[in-house]
Amino acid sequence: MEKDYIEFKLSSNVCYIESVRVFIGKLSETLGFPKKRTADIQLALDEICSNAVIHGSKSVESEIKIHITVDRRFLELIISDTGGQNTKDWFTPEKLAEIQSRRTPEGEGGHGLYLIECLSDSHKLQANKYGGTDVIVLFNRPSNACQDVP
Amino acid sequence: MAGTDLMTVRENADIKIIDVMTDLSSYAALDLRKILEDLLLEKVDKVVVNFSEVNHINSTAVGTLVGIAKRLRQNGGDLKLCHLGPPLTRTFNLIGASSVVEIYETEKSALAAF
Repeated sequence: MEKDYIEFKLSSNVCYIESVRVFIGKLSETLGFPKKRTADIQLALDEICSNAVIHGSKSVESEIKIHITVDRRFLELIISDTGGQNTKDWFTPEKLAEIQSRRTPEGEGGHGLYLIECLSDSHKLQANKYGGTDVIVLFNRPSNACQDVP
Repeated sequence: MAGTDLMTVRENADIKIIDVMTDLSSYAALDLRKILEDLLLEKVDKVVVNFSEVNHINSTAVGTLVGIAKRLRQNGGDLKLCHLGPPLTRTFNLIGASSVVEIYETEKSALAAF
């Protein structure tokens, strides 16, 4: 098989993010990512899921979908939310640029998107059909990755 | 004294020391915020957070620490952090928060800095 997939859905509650983070850590180790890169992948996923729950959901009854693609060359994560009370259809390149321009080290929030950009090999945000946001991040696999997995 | 199973509070003279014994994703960050805000309500103004048992911190938890540090400084006190391992140091450095909050290698040096 060229690619393998893992997909799961969670209720939009921050209490589940730690379990997802631990899962992606184990998967990254299995795929041959070194310890430091595994920590990067875990932090990026934590940041995306936290944004999805805190800003991209109306209530704990909302749903967050995580789609993981394992390719020989990369690990791709797509995290989809359904949009928050005030953030439905929020996504435009201009709005994204505005959020990023407001970030300062002294600020208490707004660091998530910046970290996602720093930590991933490539990333993309796009509006989805649910009125929420898809965040797509890609991590290139090391060339000496385990041969027993795709 | 305030605390949870995974975050305990002890004291050294007039300084409160929080031992965090769990990784800090958004859920655990809520507990940390609650403990720190309770200390603020108790008029505590000198706090050290010991991260020797922590391997992960997200930006929500870092933002909480930055915000509490500012409020403690307004009261004439401060928040100092110690025992940050490489993953935590990386997160603080990426965000730029290591220039906003004081970070020490050991708890002893953090306490001595007050």
